Amino acid sequence: MAEFVDADNAEAIIARIEHKSQKIESLLKRSKPVEALKTALEGSPPNTRDERCKSANWIVVHRALMTIKDVDGMFSSLDPEYYDILMKYLYRGLSTGDRPTCDQCLRIHEKLTERAGLGCILRALADTTNTV
Amino acid sequence: MAAISIHRFAQCITCHAWSPDQSMVALCPNSSEVHIYKMGEEEWERVHILQKHDQIVSGIDWSSMSNRIVTVSHDRNSYVWNQEGTEWVPTLVILRLNRAALCVQWSPKENKFAVGSGAKTVCVCYYEQDNNWWVSKVIRKKHESSVTSVAWHPNNILLATTSTDGKCRVFSTFIKGVDSRDAAQPSSAESRFGEQIIQLDLSTSWAFGVRWSPSGNTLAYVGHNSMIYFVDEVGPSPLAQSVALRDLPLRDVLFVAERIVIGVGYDCNPMVFAADDTGIWSFVRFLGERKITSSNTKYGSQLSGAFGKLYAQSTKYGPGNDISDLSKLNVNAHTNCISCIQPLKEQGKAAVSQFSTSGMDGRLVLWDLENQLDLSEYICLFF
Repeated sequence: MAEFVDADNAEAIIARIEHKSQKIESLLKRSKPVEALKTALEGSPPNTRDERCKSANWIVVHRALMTIKDVDGMFSSLDPEYYDILMKYLYRGLSTGDRPTCDQCLRIHEKLTERAGLGCILRALADTTNTV
Repeated sequence: MAAISIHRFAQCITCHAWSPDQSMVALCPNSSEVHIYKMGEEEWERVHILQKHDQIVSGIDWSSMSNRIVTVSHDRNSYVWNQEGTEWVPTLVILRLNRAALCVQWSPKENKFAVGSGAKTVCVCYYEQDNNWWVSKVIRKKHESSVTSVAWHPNNILLATTSTDGKCRVFSTFIKGVDSRDAAQPSSAESRFGEQIIQLDLSTSWAFGVRWSPSGNTLAYVGHNSMIYFVDEVGPSPLAQSVALRDLPLRDVLFVAERIVIGVGYDCNPMVFAADDTGIWSFVRFLGERKITSSNTKYGSQLSGAFGKLYAQSTKYGPGNDISDLSKLNVNAHTNCISCIQPLKEQGKAAVSQFSTSGMDGRLVLWDLENQLDLSEYICLFF
């Protein structure tokens, strides 16, 4: 029974992520990459242990993350409440080993550490419950 | 400077405790011994060595009224030391643990003490007059991992614990024949020994260093994810606040007043937290000196000790800047993780104006809050 509930839940989350994805695409078309990143980070990490949902959400975040050109500009309009979750996704990005993704993540990581401090890194690494 | 005295006693100090009149300090130099030092004319003088444990002593507490020392160790034993003449005489307390004992604290009335252990248990020990023996009662099957810290509520009944399962819990330790019913607060009057009053599930990683405020209304503890938690109205509907740190995690906390907390840990520099008029807790500042040139304030504020050096080396600074910056970063009173903070209590005062810290660098540092002008607005309110 529990599995059914989980599956239903997962479908609902996937639907929500798809909706988010469309919104991001339209924001990117209007060249609002920071708004797109905020949208992607909202409701993250998905409150589930389902790896499919986590991957789907990562794809959406990754899409928005890679469009960021001006990192300093991004931080001037990104509120501190997003820092912790962004850091988690940066580490997910670094774990892919993909060259362009890693380059981008490292660039943002440097600036984010400058702003949010080492505490932010520790919160990203120490959290084994709400993984992204 | 807030640090008024710095002395290096050993390679590493696992824990320390002060004698009732604060003329002597008992500390464990990362060995199976406890050394007691007395402040002589000029220097600290070693006056006693307590040798009985087989492994590292992980906890020491010195009772202020009865002048008894309790020690716990990784060897799974606990001793209560009584001073008879010039000697300290140990009494073994059987804890029946199968893992290391990690922390210990006397209850406010000093008729009980609590030991947290790696066996996922808390032992509450009390003296049995008839048998001339310390008896241990165990709180079992409540913790899912090691108990890292214990803290007594001023009412002598409630005990808060933190554990590496990330949770902070509050238990009743009412023991028939030791505690009287009327001593307990109304909320805990009904509870039996070992009953869990509350479980706080705020941290996502290891929890350390729990303490009650002087009134017992607020609870503070830290998480290894660089967070500090403040809990008001501990009971059926607690009010919790989490404060995320910019810097490395904390290991231990101390309430110096009802609304001021000092946190110590991996940043090697005590942090001051305070609650404003509306009860919102926030980070105020570091207590130790930190002379940083204005050009790198952004980095400087997060750097310290060895980690700072590492970070500074990998960061591109202007030429010639590095050496002066590094030397300035090393003026910290502590050069490694601070693992223990103890108040220096003045008789009849709830607030603490002096305290001591010790850590992995083997230093014992005394701090004074009195001449901290910017903190005086918080301190005036409470001293």
